[in-house]
Amino acid sequence: MRAAATTSAGGVVAASDQGGQGGQARPASGLGSTLFLLLPAVGLCTVFILLPALLAIVGSFFEIGLGSTDWRFAGLTNYARAMDDPVFWIALRNNLFIVIGSVILQVGFGTVLAAILDRGIPKGGTVFRTIIFAPMVMSTIAVALIWLVILDPNVGALNTLVKSMGLPTPKLGWLGDPSISLGILLLIAMWQYTGFMMVLILAGLQGIPKELYEAATLDGARGLTAFRHITLPGIRNVLIVAVLITTIGGFKVFDLIFATTRGGPANATQVMGTYIYQQAFNLGNLGYANAMSVVLLIIAVILGALQLRVSRRA
Amino acid sequence: MATLDIRNLDKHYGAFHALRDINVGIESGEFLVLVGPSGCGKSTLLRAIAGLESVSGGQILIGGRDISRIEPFDRGVAMVFQNYALYPHMTVRQNMGFALKVARQPKAVIDAAVQRAAEILRIEAQLDKKPKALSGGQKQRVAIGRAITRSPEVFLFDEPLSNLDAALRSQMRIELGRLHAQLGATMVYVTHDQTEAMTMASRIVVLRDGEVEQIGSPLELYNRPARRFVAGFLGSPRMNFIQARVRSSTGRIVSLDAPHLDTGAGNAPSLDITLAPDAAVPAPGAPVVVGIRPEAFADGAGVGWQLNGTVAVVESLGRDTLLYIDTGPLRAFDSESLEGYFAVHRTRQMDARHGDAVSVRIDPRHVYLFDDERAIAWPERADD
Amino acid sequence: MGGPRFRLATLIAYGIVSLWSLLVIIPTLWMVLGAFKTRREFFLDPLGLPSTFGPEAFERALGAGIGTFLLNSAIVTVLSVILIVVVSGMAAYVLARTDSRWMRFVYLLIVAGFAVPVQAVLIPLFQLVSGAGMLNSLFGIVLPYAAYGIPFTIILFYAFFLDFPKELEEAALLDGCRPVKTFFHVVLPLTGPAIASAAIFQAVFIWNEFILALLMLTRPDLKTLTVGILQLGGEFTADWAAIMAGLSIAILPLLLIFVLAQKYFVRSLAGLGK
Repeated sequence: MRAAATTSAGGVVAASDQGGQGGQARPASGLGSTLFLLLPAVGLCTVFILLPALLAIVGSFFEIGLGSTDWRFAGLTNYARAMDDPVFWIALRNNLFIVIGSVILQVGFGTVLAAILDRGIPKGGTVFRTIIFAPMVMSTIAVALIWLVILDPNVGALNTLVKSMGLPTPKLGWLGDPSISLGILLLIAMWQYTGFMMVLILAGLQGIPKELYEAATLDGARGLTAFRHITLPGIRNVLIVAVLITTIGGFKVFDLIFATTRGGPANATQVMGTYIYQQAFNLGNLGYANAMSVVLLIIAVILGALQLRVSRRA
Repeated sequence: MATLDIRNLDKHYGAFHALRDINVGIESGEFLVLVGPSGCGKSTLLRAIAGLESVSGGQILIGGRDISRIEPFDRGVAMVFQNYALYPHMTVRQNMGFALKVARQPKAVIDAAVQRAAEILRIEAQLDKKPKALSGGQKQRVAIGRAITRSPEVFLFDEPLSNLDAALRSQMRIELGRLHAQLGATMVYVTHDQTEAMTMASRIVVLRDGEVEQIGSPLELYNRPARRFVAGFLGSPRMNFIQARVRSSTGRIVSLDAPHLDTGAGNAPSLDITLAPDAAVPAPGAPVVVGIRPEAFADGAGVGWQLNGTVAVVESLGRDTLLYIDTGPLRAFDSESLEGYFAVHRTRQMDARHGDAVSVRIDPRHVYLFDDERAIAWPERADD
Repeated sequence: MGGPRFRLATLIAYGIVSLWSLLVIIPTLWMVLGAFKTRREFFLDPLGLPSTFGPEAFERALGAGIGTFLLNSAIVTVLSVILIVVVSGMAAYVLARTDSRWMRFVYLLIVAGFAVPVQAVLIPLFQLVSGAGMLNSLFGIVLPYAAYGIPFTIILFYAFFLDFPKELEEAALLDGCRPVKTFFHVVLPLTGPAIASAAIFQAVFIWNEFILALLMLTRPDLKTLTVGILQLGGEFTADWAAIMAGLSIAILPLLLIFVLAQKYFVRSLAGLGK
């Protein structure tokens, strides 16, 4: 028999189901109110996220002139151009450098700090957590500018400090020297984001029941052994999420570089984000910029899907 | 107060047939208990009455009015949840008065109803507290109070005592009994605990796998279970079952054999049982199941089967003693213990220890007989 | 762990976190102190303390428009967060309480939206908003901000509503509430913590957002704080004190709120790992 448990006045949502709901409290009655509740969210996301994504993909196959209606089909030209463009590959390589460096530095140190705050120090955990996390609430632009001044060859504190210790300072400046500029930027990112990783992993650590450690102590396992057999497995999922978040962030990096080196010197700090910006808004190569955007999009979507799959499993 | 009629109720969860053709008629003012093992459908049935589950077929009528297709907020039933479901952000007073407030009753009416319910349940002192400041027992009273203020036609209880500790549970059982007497309300109560069912119900509905096994008063079900499942379900410790075989039958008396009951004298003893008047006589060689309640074993020599064994476990309860007997190769069938011990119940203190030799007798007059799950013979009179 | 006598491991632990904390505090402090220095002090003694604590640098920074930028950021952030929370709350409730193929598909779509970063769709997005005339409007930027904040917030609320005890809603139904009334009288009052978490996370993100604000709010009096301070850095190329003053003002609001409400911040961000 058909499921028919309500009067016509209060329709049941999801009338396409046969057999009635499975133990759920009835939500808004009627298809109308369901749509009303869902539409704003779906509408906004479709217009500002889905649509531009589709347009980017489509636009990557065109040469787009200055007038926005001036689209000429170009097939895979833009992608071929990317393949041949050394700067594209430099940018990608720089992104990977940042990704790997960030994962090692931020997740690595974040874990150390989290472990210390969890069980290493008896008091003061909240104070340290607040301080170390604070850079996260500063805009990356602000962080970049602060360090820009600190690294300034003339008035910066760092040069003065280093010189006073008798060590040499880079002749071209910390950010002007192509061989170290990206590394310096990596360190600045670490300064800002390690606190975030620390808090994330700390939450995971605090989710491990104390009884496990107590049982381990009775079994004779303490310290590093306990860390290996109880702590690490317990935060496995959080660590994976942390790595994924850092990886995604490493590909999305823009603000930091834009505010400091803009990709220079000589593309030493050029990344996908800044290169796309440069191609689109400085040089007007919209089609080419779209193609590179699509590459970035694919990378981001794959990583994002991975992140959610892992979070769901936790 | 109203009557509650459930007719041919059917419910499917996709392919799973949760309720099969349920028919129950509840009198006004009755305390009906739905009992059964996990997954039997008792909660589903209760929630279907409340309107929290849809039904695939059949009808539910309250006071003659068909409510099967009506939304829960229009049905006139109140429910007490296992987890109390008290609104955490409201005080006890607000919790109890919420339904009346939704019905736009004047404040005076609401206050009076809340006060009355609080007095009945003795929680006046908690009226202005929030749920998190209450103990489990107090929360349960508030949940009941919330149901009372609405003066519903039917009260529904979904395992309300399961979350309370043992002492509190006994206390609340008595409270609920008193409440029922005082209000004279129609109540439908779901539990998996057969003690609650036996002590509280005016009638019990035993459910298994979505079907009604039997409906009747507690003593009716205890003394005259229609099916082996009901016989084993009610009564703690469980009835002891022995697998036996029909040796021969003479008129309405059957003679039974059981393996491993050789007394060593050469010929195996038989158990002769008089069948119920309308029961079909099983053929010779047919397998049957003999049931004997733990309190029904006889001592000393006499007619019937003698069980010889050693004490495996002793439970001394002060007023009573429970002995679990290991009878070697003869095993109890479908018993409480995995090892197939026989449970013996005595209303006195005993000096028994693990390993002691013990011997009990199964008197054919105190025995149940089951043929293919159906009861075909009962004890001559109910034993205490 | 040993009583009054400190173990070596604990000392090292304290040492490490203290070191890192100093690493965080010192540059920040140096920058704030820099707002009080004169040009000479900058060149002659970069590591030293300022001799006077006058507000001149701050006045110069404010004169360059920091006050306006702050107001713009505040307006945009507040409006966006409200929009995000309301819209996401409604959608997540329906998604969590309805079980159907369509709903699962919608949820999947929204979750897919979470993976798309603004940078990857910057160009078509910009073309879209400029074509629609949404440039240089504080209200105009709120819409894309909301769109990018909704997926994460729906995921947060969805998990929250799934865990929300259905018995409370069922009790409300039996008490006579129609579903809408149930939502507003029973569910919403208890959603506080989730709303706080979502609001804080989005607020920080939007307040500090750069690239969309850079592209969409180009008129000087409409710029947000994050864009404004970068401009400040360019304008006051040699006026270090003013730059530092501007930066100090820029990081102060969120930093202050953070210190006061840091429990909520941490909770909302820790939710990412779940």
